[in-house]
Amino acid sequence: MSVKVEVIEGGIPHNTILAAGLVSTLVCLYLTYLNVILSTPTNSVTLFSFFGGLAVVAALIWGSHTIKVLCSYGIGTGVPSAGMIAFGSGVIAMLLATRFGMLAPVVALVLAAVIGFVLGYVSNNILNMKIPAMVQALTEMAIVGALTLMGFAALITGGFTFKGLTTGSISMMGLTLPSYQQSFLGGCLIAVAFLLGAIAIQHPFNACLGPGWKQDRMLMLTAECGFLSMIVAAIMSFALINTLSALIALIVAIIGWIYTYSQYMEMSKRDAASWLDSKPIPDVEGH
Amino acid sequence: MSAVAAKPAAGGAMNPTAMAVGVVMTLILLGVCYAVSPGLGLMTLIGVIIGGVLIGFGTHFVPVGGAPAAMGQAPGIATGVAMLAAGAGLAGLFGGAWAAEQGMVIAVVTGGVGGGLMMAITCMMVNFIYVFGMGIPSASGKVANDPITGDSQAEYKSQGTEGHGLPFISFIGGVIGGALGGAGGTLIYIQLLTLYEEMLPGVMNVPATQAAQVMPIAVSAAGMFAVGLFLVNAVLTAYNITGTIEGPHDPKFSRWPRSVVASAVASALCGLVAVLIVVPF
Repeated sequence: MSVKVEVIEGGIPHNTILAAGLVSTLVCLYLTYLNVILSTPTNSVTLFSFFGGLAVVAALIWGSHTIKVLCSYGIGTGVPSAGMIAFGSGVIAMLLATRFGMLAPVVALVLAAVIGFVLGYVSNNILNMKIPAMVQALTEMAIVGALTLMGFAALITGGFTFKGLTTGSISMMGLTLPSYQQSFLGGCLIAVAFLLGAIAIQHPFNACLGPGWKQDRMLMLTAECGFLSMIVAAIMSFALINTLSALIALIVAIIGWIYTYSQYMEMSKRDAASWLDSKPIPDVEGH
Repeated sequence: MSAVAAKPAAGGAMNPTAMAVGVVMTLILLGVCYAVSPGLGLMTLIGVIIGGVLIGFGTHFVPVGGAPAAMGQAPGIATGVAMLAAGAGLAGLFGGAWAAEQGMVIAVVTGGVGGGLMMAITCMMVNFIYVFGMGIPSASGKVANDPITGDSQAEYKSQGTEGHGLPFISFIGGVIGGALGGAGGTLIYIQLLTLYEEMLPGVMNVPATQAAQVMPIAVSAAGMFAVGLFLVNAVLTAYNITGTIEGPHDPKFSRWPRSVVASAVASALCGLVAVLIVVPF
């Protein structure tokens, strides 16, 4: 069905969000590469891992606005399916891209764009969806999926290369042995990252859609979901990077979450017709 | 475009040119795979494409009701196509993965049984809730008589609804769809697992004596690719169905050829990427 059901316009144009999201995600991903540059053979630096989490938040903000653009057309399958296809195609591109070392984020971008473009062509022509925004939206979402997962990988392991994601180390009686199970891919932490991202990308538009939709409120909710996912990922990163780096990521995530959550609550109160704080646990007297 | 000028929903029309482009694209991707990794890689990709097509085809059998079903105004299970397909397929995949060491045939059959069982339980509980909880009988709105039992439906259908509950044919369709989806998901997983177990030690420069240590990576990577492929195929099928379907007797069921071609293209592309990860370069 090619009827645009939402007429709300205004706010920042989509292309601006696209450009800003893409640039800031790539910059944040490459800032985590400082870990590799500053590491010496005896001392591995993981201090800059938290930039991976910021890349996740930037990519998610872009992605949730793309979902808004796509799902404003009645696609008849529900908003969550868009998040699922974004990460389903993104994880495939991301895993191959990690083999290209330092070029990984750029390769992930190109590869995901190719996969997303073909999926868009398939949906629009073979499946006869005929939705004008389909090809561009699926291309963007595959890129968002791939870069978000790469951001999670950098946040949890400190790097985004295939070797870094598959090889960990395990300390046993003072000895440090290499272990494939103690890693992002071998321990299947990628499955958790997958769903943390997939839920964070589809929830904001699903929660905010309707006649009262406001762009800044939805994007703030996305940032909140992103930081919430980052908290969980930062806790998982204690297993793979040193405690100080993981602690920095956790503190950044918690500060970001508290700020975005309070801002989101402010915006919800601003847009609501009226507001009553019903308290989570009411004080009941006389029982 | 205004709502008045817009054409009605995507509809069942086929686009022959695009279908032909899709088939050619699948063949080209198979050719690329043959060029970079003849033998095991090509066999894996063919398995992945068959698995993807099974998922895409099987999902058309599943009775999907969406939001109207939650209000008892349309037959089917009250959630979206993508969620049901993913649920049935992943349940099958987990079932099949346990049997991975028993060989491909047993694993794929186990996966099919797992997916079918999951859908059978879901359909039965949905009908329990409809009949004993909401107090509505099962009736199809799309056919006059149930194609299997021959029971007439119109008397039980409430006015103003498209039918409600899960009629017998929808239940059977759900089980068939779950079985096909589970078998397809397991086939993708098994094919990729075999490939990775064979090739990963070489790519990661692990000596042959320690090859077993790469096992967690192979299982995890094959599992992630299988989940990714599954979600891509499930969502593409959801786009094909657009909304709700009652099961194999629904007129929308005749759209399956489009979905088969779409799943083949998508699986060929994603499968090729999954094969490339273990090609040395």
